[in-house]
Amino acid sequence: MEERTRNLFKELLSSGSGKVGIAFIIALIIISLGVIIIYPPDFGLKYWSNPVLWADNPRAAPPAWTNLFSSYNQAETVIFETNIPTERIPGVSITKVLYTFNLNHKADEPPSFISMTVGNIKYNNRPPVLIVNIERPDGNKIELYRLIVPGPLPNEVTPFARFSETPFRIQLSGNHEVVSAVSNFLKQEFDVSISNQDLLLSGVDIAVFGTPQDDGKFDVLMGVYKIQVDAFLYNEDDSIGSVKFVAGGSVHGFMGTDTLGRDLSIGLLFGFPVALFIGLVASSITTVIGTSLGIISGYIGGKTDTSIQRAADIFTNIPLLPILIFLSFIVGPNLFIIILILIIFSWPGLTILIRSMVLQIRSGQLVESSITLGASRLRIMLRHIFPQTAPFVFAQMIFFTPSAILAEAALSFLGLGDPSLPTWGQILEYGFRNGGIYVGYWWWILPPGILIVITAMTFVLIALGMEPIINPRLKRGH
Amino acid sequence: MGAARLLAIKGVTLFGVLLVSLLLVIVVLGATGVSDRMMGSIVNEEVRELRQSLAITIRDPIELERVVLAEREQLVEFYGLDNPWYTRLPDMVWRILRLDLGSARTLKSFSGSTRVSDIVLERLPNTVILVTTALAISSVLGLYIGVKLATRVGTTLDRGVSYISAASYALPSWWVGIIFIMILSFQFHIFPFGGITSAPVPSGFLNRTFDIMWHATLPIITLTLASVGSWAYVVRTMVLNTAQEDFVTVARAKGLPENKIMNRHIIRVAAPPIVTNLVLGLTASFGGAILTETVFNWPGMGRLYYDAIFALDENVIVALTFIFTLLYVGARFILEVLYILLDPRVRY
Repeated sequence: MEERTRNLFKELLSSGSGKVGIAFIIALIIISLGVIIIYPPDFGLKYWSNPVLWADNPRAAPPAWTNLFSSYNQAETVIFETNIPTERIPGVSITKVLYTFNLNHKADEPPSFISMTVGNIKYNNRPPVLIVNIERPDGNKIELYRLIVPGPLPNEVTPFARFSETPFRIQLSGNHEVVSAVSNFLKQEFDVSISNQDLLLSGVDIAVFGTPQDDGKFDVLMGVYKIQVDAFLYNEDDSIGSVKFVAGGSVHGFMGTDTLGRDLSIGLLFGFPVALFIGLVASSITTVIGTSLGIISGYIGGKTDTSIQRAADIFTNIPLLPILIFLSFIVGPNLFIIILILIIFSWPGLTILIRSMVLQIRSGQLVESSITLGASRLRIMLRHIFPQTAPFVFAQMIFFTPSAILAEAALSFLGLGDPSLPTWGQILEYGFRNGGIYVGYWWWILPPGILIVITAMTFVLIALGMEPIINPRLKRGH
Repeated sequence: MGAARLLAIKGVTLFGVLLVSLLLVIVVLGATGVSDRMMGSIVNEEVRELRQSLAITIRDPIELERVVLAEREQLVEFYGLDNPWYTRLPDMVWRILRLDLGSARTLKSFSGSTRVSDIVLERLPNTVILVTTALAISSVLGLYIGVKLATRVGTTLDRGVSYISAASYALPSWWVGIIFIMILSFQFHIFPFGGITSAPVPSGFLNRTFDIMWHATLPIITLTLASVGSWAYVVRTMVLNTAQEDFVTVARAKGLPENKIMNRHIIRVAAPPIVTNLVLGLTASFGGAILTETVFNWPGMGRLYYDAIFALDENVIVALTFIFTLLYVGARFILEVLYILLDPRVRY
């Protein structure tokens, strides 16, 4: 056995496709291990499907590097987050705490939105007040927004804690207060009057980050914007936990985002271990069942053989995909059930093949002499028959792996994926169902598909590298 | 073994397949309580209608409730909901085997009927157009390419095509379809995004036919691409295996011309396993059609399946699972007959 199996690997490493395949699978395993170590185990439900976490990302934004191929420079998301104030000015009864962020805006368009998030505010008597100012490169200053922290409730005891569990996020761009502030600013500085409603519709960002032109449009004003958040605290012991300011872009990260603002690169990375898990678990269990039944069927013969073969006949003839769809629809989207169904319907092919091999091996001298020596049936099957089929079995296992991965991807694409484990198929499905192909969200549609293909291809390449040893007749032709 | 006996055995096995998959579907529906829910919703619907019509004649609300309740009990008994699900099993199997598929809950046929058989009959031809055309094209192409490759084993062409066919195994056809739409429909506007006809439907038989063909092109190319690679590879391998048999060497030694050896000796013998692979290709096509039709919004059975899943229309799902199996088993039986006709060794 050792000899034949060793030959298999030697052959595999001597072929070009085998080498590429092995290199790929090593890369896949390394990435998967990394993901398993870094990602939290409840990533799917708690992080990926939690829209709050992605609120500060632009929606359906292409990758940032697309700017390299275009003369029009799109804005990238800029995030400022700090828990240390830039300056603290103690006063008699008021302590002023300043947070200053310098936003260097170089894009040919305004940010897609601006937002502020504050967290963990503690105060003792009067609620603190936060004021957001923005100083433009042309020297003009706009007071955008004023946040008065909610006052104490009856019977509440000091210190009053606010926004400590979930930080408070203000979408400045869509805020009525901001809109009227910007509208006033335009009136005063540029003598341009735009109604609040129109400004809300066109977005305040073009006005905050631009100068009005004669034709009623705005030109983007590039340069450094000084964003200042002034907090007024009315007690020595009052404190502000964190302040976050985001200028949303229209391009994002290495892989872009989906319509919920989720960073696709994060979801796609999570797909690696899931895909490998599906492929390897389904194929190894299928192979074990298929091989054992095949050997038993071929070696024991008689009624056992007939019944196994009849069952195999029936199972191979049931069209897999409709049944798979039906079962996962009824039983509910669960990855383990999908894998189980794949196994139930996949063992027969291997059983039929192995049985025909065993029929040949059984009449060989090795087996006959073992019987004469009084070896038990189990021993013969395990020690003498299985080793002769081993290389073939191994190749079949490799060959089945991509089918399992592709089957899960197809199911996910039909909307039957397991929501607790985001897969490439699910990301694709979400993109497809949101009309991604009709609007041209290529960064959302292409990468998951490419990753599915690469992973499936890895196993196909390895299988291809093993082919000459599995099917020696083909080799003679070369 | 006689041919008739052989066919009979195959027929029985395939009928077993049909029965097993049907039982599987029904048992799963019953054991998970979905079947009870389905029946329950039918009863509720009928009771609701009854209450509405009775409310006109019976004014007294207490009397109305009493009558409705009595009717409800009758209905529950009629549908067998008062007994556990497995007592309904034989009836249900028999009903579906007679193709009495019941009616859909939410889905409707294009003409407005809710009978599942009406809906399916409308969709069936659309799927058949797609699957059979794609299968015909890919088998012809596959045979041609496969035989070509077998005569040029080891050349760059051979190796190249082998790699491409291996690659096509790893390519999900539905994703290829999506790429086609993005490039050919979205970017270059050559083909429509999906559907089977333009809106409004062009008048005149010829125009309509062309319109459908135009809409079918991308799905057919997608389905063909998905299968042609593995198809060519299988043909190549089969032909190659046969070409190394002794009788081919003998034929060559006799000095027969190469094309005669190929047609008379090799292909004739390699045909039956190739036909077997046609069967396997057929499964892939039917399965693939579910995905391809979904991608291309093609109003066939596959798209219906997808719609039924999202409309939670259990009756349609059961019916379609059965029909997919039926279609597959039927095609399989036809191919078994072909197999016997092709291979004289099977007959004797």
